[in-house]
Amino acid sequence: MKIIISILLIMISIFANDATIDVIKKADTLPSIALEDASVSYDSTFKVKFFKSLVADLNVLSIFNVDRVQRNVNFDASSVLVENKDMNYVLRYKLSQDDSNSLSLEMKLISKDNVVFNKNYKVNSSDIYMFVSHTIAYDINNFMGESPVEWIKRKVIFSRMISPQRSELVVTDYTLTYQHVVVKGGFNLFPKWSNKEQSAFYYTSLNETKPTLKHIDLKTGKSKVIKSSDGMMICSDVNEDGSKLLFTMAPNGQPDVFIYDVKTQNTKKLTNYGGIDVSGQFMGSDSIIFVSDRLGYPNIFSLNINSGSVAQMVYYGKSNSACSVHGKYVVYKARESSDSFSNNTFNLHLVSMESDFIRRLTAVGVNEFPKFSIDGDAIIFVKNYQSQSSVGIIRLNHNKNYLFPLQFGKIQSIDW
Amino acid sequence: MKSIVLASAVAALLVLSGCGDKDPQVDANDGAVAEQAAPVKSAPSVKAPVASNSETAAEYMARIEKELKTIYFDFDKFSIKADMQANLSADASIANSKASKFLVKLEGNCDEWGSDEYNFALGLKRAETVKKALVAEGVDANRVSMVSFGESSPACTDKTKECWAQNRRVDFKLLP
Repeated sequence: MKIIISILLIMISIFANDATIDVIKKADTLPSIALEDASVSYDSTFKVKFFKSLVADLNVLSIFNVDRVQRNVNFDASSVLVENKDMNYVLRYKLSQDDSNSLSLEMKLISKDNVVFNKNYKVNSSDIYMFVSHTIAYDINNFMGESPVEWIKRKVIFSRMISPQRSELVVTDYTLTYQHVVVKGGFNLFPKWSNKEQSAFYYTSLNETKPTLKHIDLKTGKSKVIKSSDGMMICSDVNEDGSKLLFTMAPNGQPDVFIYDVKTQNTKKLTNYGGIDVSGQFMGSDSIIFVSDRLGYPNIFSLNINSGSVAQMVYYGKSNSACSVHGKYVVYKARESSDSFSNNTFNLHLVSMESDFIRRLTAVGVNEFPKFSIDGDAIIFVKNYQSQSSVGIIRLNHNKNYLFPLQFGKIQSIDW
Repeated sequence: MKSIVLASAVAALLVLSGCGDKDPQVDANDGAVAEQAAPVKSAPSVKAPVASNSETAAEYMARIEKELKTIYFDFDKFSIKADMQANLSADASIANSKASKFLVKLEGNCDEWGSDEYNFALGLKRAETVKKALVAEGVDANRVSMVSFGESSPACTDKTKECWAQNRRVDFKLLP
């Protein structure tokens, strides 16, 4: 008996932290939470919008069963509403607007009639209410002792196709609720945040004679040209401190991966294969992963920058044309059909460099542009299905996917 | 109860409201460049019968550009199909004669299956294949430039196999 228990414990310890293993959590084992709205300002439309945003954020945390009924209450009431008596947690909040149009929020988390956590928030405008909602969810997640969800507060930038050769770059939150067009007009693609603070970004402009990489500082609005190249000029990745970039350039019509030093402005070619080498992503400080068709079809390979040695990273999938890496995990896009005469399916798969497990993360449609969050807790991706573009969030350790549809246009590429 | 200003969101507001003021500059620049770069489209049906010496240079270039035939490709391929060889030879002939004083820009395109870098590279390799074929037929390589639009410049947006086939193509543009 002891041996069996020991084996079980070893198995659990081996697989507990492996994200390639599906974790099926039963919903009824999650604690319940209800929201109580004690707002004194704003009309009912805004109050409903805020309530829905908070419910959505708490759902995405994947640690609660969230009650979806909006109930009003006095913020200082001594006990929770009778309808919420059986809830494990009650989140009571009060929105108020001051003279300068700023939005303030008082929040307290109640459990068994005791306030177990409280915090106040303030922003300069009610237009960015969704960032307050995201931050409340972030704080509650921390309070509950879960691994941090830094990504929930981060901004997302994407390129939206309006019509052929017409696109715009949009800064948004992860739910696409807040949207601000930062580059309008022309043909602009592949935006990529240039620093951790998300105060500037790179993008490809196809408005000049040659494809041109530009940099825009959001604080000053200044735009500058970084480099141009015949054929292709894309910033595929930015390293952790923003000092090195991976480019896809094709100076002679030959797409290859290059590394660029932001300070010295030196460019060094990293790949030399005569076919397609694109989409370089930093993997630690010495290696990259990239997409190459050197085996006759697109697949994911690694390259040691110092030694130049190349190794195949993925052994499943007919056509694997996009990837992202975090620690020992690689998420990649694989074509699951090879048909020019019907709809194709592209799904995302997760592999670990330390095991042979493959976990399929999506089921239908064209799923692409996977990108790990900074902390590796989640993956953002673009789903195009039945003429609808959506941003998807995959919570790896909770085995949950969430989709946020785009109102109009089609997402060409995304970064967060 | 401690009062905490939501730093990140405030920063977001400052950043975003700040860039809002600057946006028109960025927008204006990009739009203006795009407009200037866009080929001048005249009405060739009206101008065509008129003698060439009364055409402007731009009108002449637009007319010749229309004579250049698009090259189509198979699904996920960038090799020239046998039935496209005649089009290519005709294009090379025009490039070496009527269009000999213009630069040739090859625009590689793909169908709608993916908007990632690989698809852009596939479009570019299609353009490169066409460039090599033109050079083999005597066109000066220095006159030919290439760009890829991936799936972002479809000629047809229906969800049919005929439509997707129309989008796997290399278009010719003439530049002065």
